[in-house]
Amino acid sequence: MSSQTTKNPAKFKNHVKISERHGAVEWLTERVALALLIPLGLWVVSSVFTLAGAGYDDLLAWFAAPLNAGLLILTLLTLFLFASLAWKVIIEDYIHKPMAKTLAIGGLNLVFLALAAASVFFIVRLALGSAPLPAGIGA
Amino acid sequence: MSSSPLPGDASNAPAADPTGRFVRQPNGRVRPLSPHLQVWRWHVTMTASILFRVTIGAISVGAAIAVGWLAALACGPETYAGTAALLGSPFGLFIGFGLTVVLFSFLLNGARHLFNDTGNGLTLKSANLLSNIAVWGPIPLAVLFWVLLFVTGRVSL
Repeated sequence: MSSQTTKNPAKFKNHVKISERHGAVEWLTERVALALLIPLGLWVVSSVFTLAGAGYDDLLAWFAAPLNAGLLILTLLTLFLFASLAWKVIIEDYIHKPMAKTLAIGGLNLVFLALAAASVFFIVRLALGSAPLPAGIGA
Repeated sequence: MSSSPLPGDASNAPAADPTGRFVRQPNGRVRPLSPHLQVWRWHVTMTASILFRVTIGAISVGAAIAVGWLAALACGPETYAGTAALLGSPFGLFIGFGLTVVLFSFLLNGARHLFNDTGNGLTLKSANLLSNIAVWGPIPLAVLFWVLLFVTGRVSL
């Protein structure tokens, strides 16, 4: 251990030890994502209010506006990034068997990645006014 | 679980037990129980903290539902008609109300967490206030949101 300390002396900032690997970056990323989600969440509240009860054509017109589609993509991607990091912290708190922990974190990351990809796919199609699915896929 | 110091154990028992949290250990001595979830007096900051984890779980499910809604929308008007009928049904409105509670909870509790992360709002008084807002605030906000939806005629039963 002493040889390791001499090779890799712990670094301190304001008397607080700096994480040796990527913990600090994940912590900061989670906070930045959450900070982004507060204004985006308020925008979601107002959008849900305006769109409640809207018909199909009104909804498509809303998606056709690039600002709406772009903000919705940004919101969902940020949310899935945040959820992935937040779930990692929760899992690490309660699951201690290495295999189960790795599987739970990896599995949830796959789910969030799939949801993020699907949301971008659907929003881009709606924004471009593409023909209803499954047209254009395998047909 | 907790009991006052037992008689006949004078060497270990304090004269008074102001906390009411002394227990008889297996070796027969009376000791204060070490702090754990069951012996901490429940505090609203604990509720806010646990509720934020629950909220993160709930909003993940909510986001998955939102992606499902996008999928239905992308499948065209015929498919979406069924989804819209489900959304407008009492069950759909109930789920919608729950999701707005979750959304407001996420916003208020997330703001509290961010504020606390900067090292602010951690005195007893402000931590209590922020936690109370984060725990109870979502309910009146969601009720107000839905009252406005019904009053403006956007949603009806």
